[in-house]
This record gives sequence, structure tokens and C-alpha cells, in this order.
Amino acid sequence: MLAALIKKELLSLLRDVYGVAALFMMPALFIIVMSMALKDFYEPAARPLIYGVENLDQGKPAARLLDRWAQENGPPQPLSADWHTELAAGRLQYVLVVDAGFSAQASDLDSKGDAKVRLLAEPGLNQALFETKRAKLIEAVTRLRAEILLAQLDLGINAAALAESIPVVAERAGAGPRPTAVQQNVPAWLLFGMFFVVASISSLFVEERACGALARLRSLGARPWRLVVGKLLPYLLVNGLQAALMLAIGIWLMPVIGGEGLSLQGVNWGALIVMLLAISLAAVSLALALACLVGSHSQAMTIGPTIIMLMAALGGIMVPTFLMPPVMQTLASYVPMNWGFEGLLNVLLRNGDFAAIAPAVTKLTLFALLMLGSGFVLFRRRL
Amino acid sequence: MLTIRQIAYRYPASTEAALTDVSFAATRGQVLGLLGPNGAGKTTLIALLAGLLRLQAGEITVDGLPLAATRARKPTRIALAPQEYAFYPSLTVTENLDCFAGVGGLFGSRRQQRIGECLAFVQIERHAHTRAARLSGGLKRRLNLAIALLHEPELLLLDEPTVGVDPQSRVFLLDAIRKLAQSGCAVIYTSHYMEEIEAIADYAVFLDEGRVVKQGPLAELLAEADAAGLRARPRHGNLEQLFMALTDHSLRG
Repeated sequence: MLAALIKKELLSLLRDVYGVAALFMMPALFIIVMSMALKDFYEPAARPLIYGVENLDQGKPAARLLDRWAQENGPPQPLSADWHTELAAGRLQYVLVVDAGFSAQASDLDSKGDAKVRLLAEPGLNQALFETKRAKLIEAVTRLRAEILLAQLDLGINAAALAESIPVVAERAGAGPRPTAVQQNVPAWLLFGMFFVVASISSLFVEERACGALARLRSLGARPWRLVVGKLLPYLLVNGLQAALMLAIGIWLMPVIGGEGLSLQGVNWGALIVMLLAISLAAVSLALALACLVGSHSQAMTIGPTIIMLMAALGGIMVPTFLMPPVMQTLASYVPMNWGFEGLLNVLLRNGDFAAIAPAVTKLTLFALLMLGSGFVLFRRRL
Repeated sequence: MLTIRQIAYRYPASTEAALTDVSFAATRGQVLGLLGPNGAGKTTLIALLAGLLRLQAGEITVDGLPLAATRARKPTRIALAPQEYAFYPSLTVTENLDCFAGVGGLFGSRRQQRIGECLAFVQIERHAHTRAARLSGGLKRRLNLAIALLHEPELLLLDEPTVGVDPQSRVFLLDAIRKLAQSGCAVIYTSHYMEEIEAIADYAVFLDEGRVVKQGPLAELLAEADAAGLRARPRHGNLEQLFMALTDHSLRG
């Protein structure tokens, strides 16, 4: 009996071209588009920023500073007379202005002057990039002044060697792949696609109920739990196929079209499969509960997808949670899609094992049981 | 075969009973016409017999065994062909038959054999691989009946089986139902078309506002109508006159 129910469900889904497109094409397109669009967000240094220099100082220290800057950030663009307009319009991303008297001031430790090196950025420059450039400039000026000071004191200290031996180390903990747009977007939109089964399940269930087929199945002795399992299993399979396809797109397609490839290096496959199963169970259970709740085709096609879109917005799929204010971050921590996303990131980015995903898997499983229970009660009422 | 004794049913959200003190019996080889205006309780009665609703009062037995026990042992002894096209429009005719055959517990070669026989019985073999959504109204009705026949039911519940079909399809369906009864199946047939009931029923039960207002062998009911002077108007049978006299002429909500 179960085999007949599963076959019927899969055939009905396969014949629904738009439903299949929504489940497979939509997340695939989101992965491709968002990974390419956000490529520079995760790799800001990959493409040097366009900048210019206005050096109003003729001293050697200023020239040394700007030489070093050009070595690290690429050569500056020649500035036109109305460079302020170009900067305001974003055609230049930033301009370094060295005030007259900077060199003299840098060489005189007792100087009370106010000559400065100014970093002027275009209005739309990413805040993180702006802060990075500012920090780099402070470091460069500080180093320059330290070199001048050491030379004046004549202590026999090699300033260049001192700069090379700064006791600071910055590195990522763990051996997982570095975060890239693909590494973030594949799990995000895979998760979104998996939860989007709500549209197909609701739509098919409403049709089944309205046409009397469900009544006929009941009259043939199909028990409610069998009907529920008959819907659960095919969509777990669909979720599995979605996961395989989205991971394949990340690994093989993205490098071909100019993106970074998804790295599964060091990934704990067991943890990944358990994580995907927990997400799938939560997604299909939510879909079944919503399918039992809606009463018409139009409700099925609006309520479910709207809830999924909201969950995606709140859960960090559309906007990373670290960019959200604290209140929204707290709210996100209650959204099942966020549990799934954090769990997947734990596996794919941080090489997390079973212990690392246990909290997410537990929460998703409890959510699935709650939804299944509610769905079962609603299902019996609908029969 | 089927005995219904003093059954009653009230929907949870309703203050009025949908069925009250309904009793009648159906035997093998008989077509029992179940008549009544909208809201009379016909569909509720069919739903109770099909196991879609739980009996609240009274008793329904099949060959002396309570209906629930009969259904628990072999639910496919009773088959339902609902008023709606109760199949999957995106599946082909054969896929629909295969699905319902599988759910009802038919497997292997027996399943294929029954699918073939049912396709042949309602003469839709030519459309076996056509998606159900693309069938005409008459073919859909025939598929609806074919699915109900898959498990060779002993009691067949037909709820308005000819709604929306052309005269040819209607004649075909009525002939098919008559053949089923002749083969020993008990058929309960609800319809608004009095001429259909007159054409195929052996026994008629009139329901109104959830109660049986009249029942008996069709020949006796027609004779009674005749004796009461309920003469048929042109294009209207005596049964319709009796129906109108029993259920009054007012429109039902």
C-alpha cells in the first residue's frame, strides 16, 4: 500500500512542471546568482580599489609612504581637477590627500602642526573596506614615524627588521575551508529549496482532498498514518536529490562559470548526512502541517511560500545574521531555518562533527515531531 | 446483505441531525435507489457506509457483521464512487487504476489482470495512457466507476454517478451498473434524475431532512403513485411526482 502511495506522490510531483522547477531550478539559480553577486563581499581584496593621490607635500617621508601604499594597493589613478566630483559619484573609491607639511611634521617629534594624511572615501564604500583602509593607513603612518624616530635616536636598531617582527598573528581557528560566497550560498539556498517543498505538498494535498481521492483512499482502508508516511517519504527523497544537486552545482558548476568551487575538504560526511536528514524531516513535517491547515489552492500557493520567505529572511538565508541588529539576531535564533543553516555552516565551514551539530539536530527533530503531531491531528480532522 | 437499523448522525459543528432513525436493507443483485432533495442526508449516509464517518447511533451490518468489523477485515468489500472525480488528474488512466489497486492490496499479476478487466468493462482501454485531466466528462465518470470496481466489491456505493455526462455515456453507465447488479453485486445509487432510478432501481428509499419518508420495491411505489392520482406530466415520470409529493415543492437551501 505504501509503495502505491509513494509512487502516486512522486508521479504527481513529476507531472507538475512548475513545482519541480520551484524545487530544483529556483535554489540552483539562487546559488549561482547570489554566489556571483556576493563574490567580492567575501573576497574584497581580490580586486584592488580604484584610488587616487593628491600629494601636497614635497618631502621624502610622504613620498616613501605613498610608494609603500602603491606597492600594497596597486598604482593610483591620475587625478583630474574635479576629482571631488568623481569621488562623490563613486568613479574613484578613495583618495589619499597628504597635507602640506606632513613630512616635516613626521620628522619632528615636537611638532605641534596639524598636517595629516587624509583618507577620503566615496559615499557607497563598504564599511568593512573603509575600516580596513583606515587601519592600514594608520599602520603605515605609525611605521613611518617609528622609522624616522629610530633613525634620529641612532640606537643602532634596524627599523625594517623591527617592522617585520611585529608580534601579532591572525589566523582562522580550525582547518575548514575559508568562507566564500559559494561556501555560504550553497547551504543557504539548499536549505531554502528544501523547505520550499511546502508549496508542492500543500498544492497536491488540497487537490487530493478537493477531488475526493483522499476520501476514496480512506474508504479503501488507508489509515491516516499511512497516508502521512506516504507523503513524508517521497519528499525526504526529493530533499535528498535537492541536496545532491545543489552540492554538485557548488563543487563542479561554480568554478566553470567563474566562481569559487565549493570545498568539502575535511568535511565530516556522516555529520553532513545527519544534518541534511534533520533539515529534511523538519521541512517536510512543516509542509505537511501547513498542507493540512490550508483549505484551498490559493491558500496553499500563498501561505506556505510566504512563511518560507519570512523564515529565510529571519533565519539568515537572505541576510547573514551577523549583519542583523541584536534584536533580530535573537529572533533568528528561534527560526528553524536558522538552526539548519548554522548546523550546515558548522559542517561545511568549520568541519564540525556530530557533537558540533547535536544542538541543531535536536532542535530540528523536536520541531519536526511537533509539526508532525500537529499535522496528524489536522489531517484526521480534514478526513 | 446490508442492514441499516435506526442510525443517526449529527456533524460536530451542527445543532441539527443529518440523519435520524434511518432503517432499510439492501440485498445482493439489487439496485437500491437513494432519493432525496439537497441536504436530505444522502451523502452523509454514503460517507457512513464508506467508513468516512463514524456511526454515532444505530447499527449497520454486512451479512450480520457490524460494518466496522467488516471494514477492518476487508475494507474493499464495499467500494465508493464519489460524486467528484475521485482520482488524480495528472496521472494517466492506468496509473490511477494502479495506484488505487495497490492501496487496496492488489499485487502482481492479479493487479494487472483486474486493471485490464476494469478498463475493458467501462470500455476505456483506448485511453489507458491518457492523463485523467484530458478525458471528457463521460470518460472521467467511466474511470471513476472503473476504480470502484477494481477490488470486485460486494456492495457498490454510487453517489450521483452520471452528473455532467452526455446521454450516450449515461446510457452506457446505467447498462454497466445493471450488469454489475446482475452479477450479484449490491448497488446503492443516489441520483437526482428520477428517470435513472425508474430505469435501473429495484428498490427505492426516499430521504428528506435526514429521515426515511418512504421506501419499498420500485414497482410498488410506482403503483402507489398511480393509485394516488400522481399522474406523470409529459417528460416527467410517476416517480418524480411521488418524490415531489413526499418532499413538497419548496426549494431547498
